[in-house]
Amino acid sequence: MYVDKEKCIGCGSCVTYCPMQALSVVEDSLDINHNECVECNICYRAGVCPCDALEIKELSWPRIVRSVFSDPLLSHGNTGVPGRGTEEMKTNDVTNRFRPGYIGIAIEMGRPGTGTRFYDVEKVAMAVAEHDVKFEILNPVTHLMTNRATGQINPEVLNEKALSAIIEFEIPSEKTREVLRTIKDVSAEIETVFSLDICSRVAQDGILPQVAPVEQEDIALSINGKTNVGLGRVKEKGGAMA
Amino acid sequence: MTHTLHRAGTATSLGNDFVVFAMGAQNVNRDGCAPRLRRIFEKMLEFEPVNYGDMKTGNKFSVGNEKILESIKDNSIVHAVFTSAEKVAEVLKALKELDAGMSVVVSGVLEATGECCGKVGLHRHTVEHSLGIWGNIARLTEQEVLHISTMCGHGMVAFSLIKYMVEEIKAGRTTPGKASEELSRMCHCGVMNPVRAAELLTLMTS
Repeated sequence: MYVDKEKCIGCGSCVTYCPMQALSVVEDSLDINHNECVECNICYRAGVCPCDALEIKELSWPRIVRSVFSDPLLSHGNTGVPGRGTEEMKTNDVTNRFRPGYIGIAIEMGRPGTGTRFYDVEKVAMAVAEHDVKFEILNPVTHLMTNRATGQINPEVLNEKALSAIIEFEIPSEKTREVLRTIKDVSAEIETVFSLDICSRVAQDGILPQVAPVEQEDIALSINGKTNVGLGRVKEKGGAMA
Repeated sequence: MTHTLHRAGTATSLGNDFVVFAMGAQNVNRDGCAPRLRRIFEKMLEFEPVNYGDMKTGNKFSVGNEKILESIKDNSIVHAVFTSAEKVAEVLKALKELDAGMSVVVSGVLEATGECCGKVGLHRHTVEHSLGIWGNIARLTEQEVLHISTMCGHGMVAFSLIKYMVEEIKAGRTTPGKASEELSRMCHCGVMNPVRAAELLTLMTS
């Protein structure tokens, strides 16, 4: 984000809109802490500046990583999905991304509201990679990895900060407990927070396979979650849907 | 991985907070699906959601439904927010009858969602649980603020903006209703629940 100091009157209208508290008024003009700014552009899009002093500037590598992970209006080139995640379980009824016998786990680094540096993302990714997890290939964090077997991330971006970044992977269900233990251990070694979730196909008898291993690890399951209700349908040959 | 999961709050408060959304799947049924998503969105609007939106365009409070409808594209995700499980069951029944072939997801209390599916004869396909917040949680803000901010999974509703609104309400310069609409305006996808937000702001200022 850029502020035109000639236009800014230092009213501070935009300051409270910043999720990273990167904005402040100094000597009657807006000051942007560019180290903390994640280029989410919400201060601009809030439309509260009375003199149009805020501007979105084109960013160069590696700083551009901040905006593609923080501004949900941008689609990642590799996912084609708006936002910073993937379709994950949302379209599982037609993609079969998560098959019976497998568990999906996502670790959203920096959420809620704290943001994350990519060195923290790498630390957690490398920890879970020890279990030979299968990182989601369409996930933007996976695309930043220089080694998908170890979870190492391009060193050029490690000090960049994003509003959040999602480590997403699939494991055979029998590995769930050991992976959860690793996640618990590495959570004590990072600067930021993360939101954790787990998903699986619902068995024919209605059983949710992820519940038992989570409870066995004494981890609390939130009462709320997401349910794919199974209304999706695969296109028939020739492109038409019945 | 998900913009509607991880909503924090009490069981009572979360019991009035459901998001229903639909999308196409890349390389499966997404090409040419915009008209189907438009029909789904139109159908959901019939049930008077308290908020709605498509991330690429905006939400009820930033652009309104006409702009959203005319802007729906193949890669849109159309969302609608409802305040009761009963309404969600009605919406699911209508979407099942519409049979648009797009993936539909309900975000909310899982037990209630499961009951809604059962009522209308849907077998849940995949379920995702939130396992909460981990790591350096000393960096988090107050729980009451989190209960509001986590309704925007992309983090567009700043802790500082919520605290500012609380002060504005206390000073009599705005109301919980107006403050919740301003907060909801920041959530591009339209998944923030303004009714719940207003209730929470009322509790925080009373």
